[in-house]
Amino acid sequence: MSSTMRPYRRHPATWKSSLLSLAILAIAVAAAFPLVWMVLSSLKTPAESMQVPPVWLPGSPNLDAYFEVSEVVSLGRSFLNSAFIALVTTIAIVVTSLMAGYAFAKYSFAGRDWLFAALIATMFLPPIVTLIPLYRMTGYLGINANLLGVVVPHLANAFGIFLMRQYIKGVPNDLIDAARVDGASELTILFKIVAPAVMPAIAALTLFAFVYHWNSYLWPLTVLQGNTDQYPIVISLSRLLSYNRGAMNTGLVMAGATLAVLPPVVLFVFLQRFFVDSIVATGVKG
Amino acid sequence: MIGRTSRSAIGMLAPATGLIAIFVFVPMALTIGLSFTQWSTQTGFDTARFVGLANFADLFGPTSIGRDFRAAFTNTALYTALSVALILPLSVVLGLMVHQTFAPGGIVLRTVLFSTYMVPMIAVALVWSKLYSPTEGPFNQMLGWVGIPPQSWLSSPNTALFSIVLLNVWQQVGYFTVLAVAGLTQIPTTLYEAARVDGASAWTQFWKITLPLMRNTLLFSAVIAVINAVQVFEPVALITQGGPVNSTNVMTYHIRRVGIERAQGGLGSAMAVTLMLSLIVVIVLLFAFFRDREEQR
Repeated sequence: MSSTMRPYRRHPATWKSSLLSLAILAIAVAAAFPLVWMVLSSLKTPAESMQVPPVWLPGSPNLDAYFEVSEVVSLGRSFLNSAFIALVTTIAIVVTSLMAGYAFAKYSFAGRDWLFAALIATMFLPPIVTLIPLYRMTGYLGINANLLGVVVPHLANAFGIFLMRQYIKGVPNDLIDAARVDGASELTILFKIVAPAVMPAIAALTLFAFVYHWNSYLWPLTVLQGNTDQYPIVISLSRLLSYNRGAMNTGLVMAGATLAVLPPVVLFVFLQRFFVDSIVATGVKG
Repeated sequence: MIGRTSRSAIGMLAPATGLIAIFVFVPMALTIGLSFTQWSTQTGFDTARFVGLANFADLFGPTSIGRDFRAAFTNTALYTALSVALILPLSVVLGLMVHQTFAPGGIVLRTVLFSTYMVPMIAVALVWSKLYSPTEGPFNQMLGWVGIPPQSWLSSPNTALFSIVLLNVWQQVGYFTVLAVAGLTQIPTTLYEAARVDGASAWTQFWKITLPLMRNTLLFSAVIAVINAVQVFEPVALITQGGPVNSTNVMTYHIRRVGIERAQGGLGSAMAVTLMLSLIVVIVLLFAFFRDREEQR
């Protein structure tokens, strides 16, 4: 698995390798362009952001748009809502996935493989297929139009179980048996011995779950039913656009987008190594 | 010991399995059941009235319900095919660039590509709608520099869907590149050494070794790319609202509009069931396609 992280092996620099490096750099710049444009636009004055043809660099970079965003939408509240959604789902997913992944990796019981296959199949189900009844069900449970309705259906997922099972399989049985002989309970074994041994998987799942739920739009939009107090930042952003149609201030929208992008991208920068390894573990060996 | 283990197994499995059963399997079964009923989403499940295959007859019938549905279905199929056709080859080329050790820069490329995958789709849609802007957007400006006339992008029915495909490819390609890199690391380097001894060119090595041995990775990528493409929602909901002239009305948007906004729960469920069955057919075909390739070798 560590082979993906293999450092660059030094070859004598030739014109061929320089050319390839140049091509790679050009692609990286092109791929980064939309995000760079987003940040640059957020620093422009309203007049600059509407100029034809477009100006690329802000003449006098300023943060006015960021302050104006917080006046248009309740930015603090939206961020808290997003943080609540992402943190609660992430913690729950890590715990439920560790437990189920441990059972699938280390226990043998009747119907195990059948149950595992049924759970994994849900990974391939687009959310729209269950959206309509799920919307009604949250009504029955009395959790629609608030944040509970956003998080409760997403406290466990098949991908997490799959990822944990893949990693926990590699934890030596001797380690677990020794703890059992010492009289440790299964939950103690899971959280004191198994979990520390699969920290890379926990880091990867944390990133996957946090980013997915920070970014998710369809379900919160549906279940919150226009209750703007409970909107996460991604939905508040879409309100910014309708406000912007009147005010014609692109910088405002770009400032909001920049703020929404920051948490997942920052988390990614810290955890990217685990993310890549986990894709290798689930994508190929699965 | 056996008794203890099976009791523990139940305890360990209960939270995840229970939650997935309640919030995935139950609504899945309800979607299937409700597709045979007429039911308003604003009322309880008990008000659903059995109508047999009437909803499906509407979907494939001559009324505007059928026409709108089939347009959304066609748009989604086109959108999915274009996305997969762009993402798969790009992921292999970019994967080779990240994986190679001949020239520096691979890790930088991977980091940039993967960062875009972290960006919320709603922010992607907002930013790209400005990039595509016919007058004040940088895309038409840059095309102008190389002498290409301005494009209509999101504002014309001929180009709107493809414009959304492009922003989707930009957002997703990093994930598939990492998948491709994962596939590349599984190929034994001894195969390439042997090929070099036999005097095979880099081009021949790619077609005879790399591509055939990435078959499983590409199959997995294709399945995931199809499932992701079917979920496109934010750019349509935010920017085009299905237009212009219904050219970007895709399934996720259409099903939500019918089943939630218009509260036609039975009809929306029938659409969801049709989507699910179509996905199963596509995935089976993908497996058959890649299996076929295996036999040809």
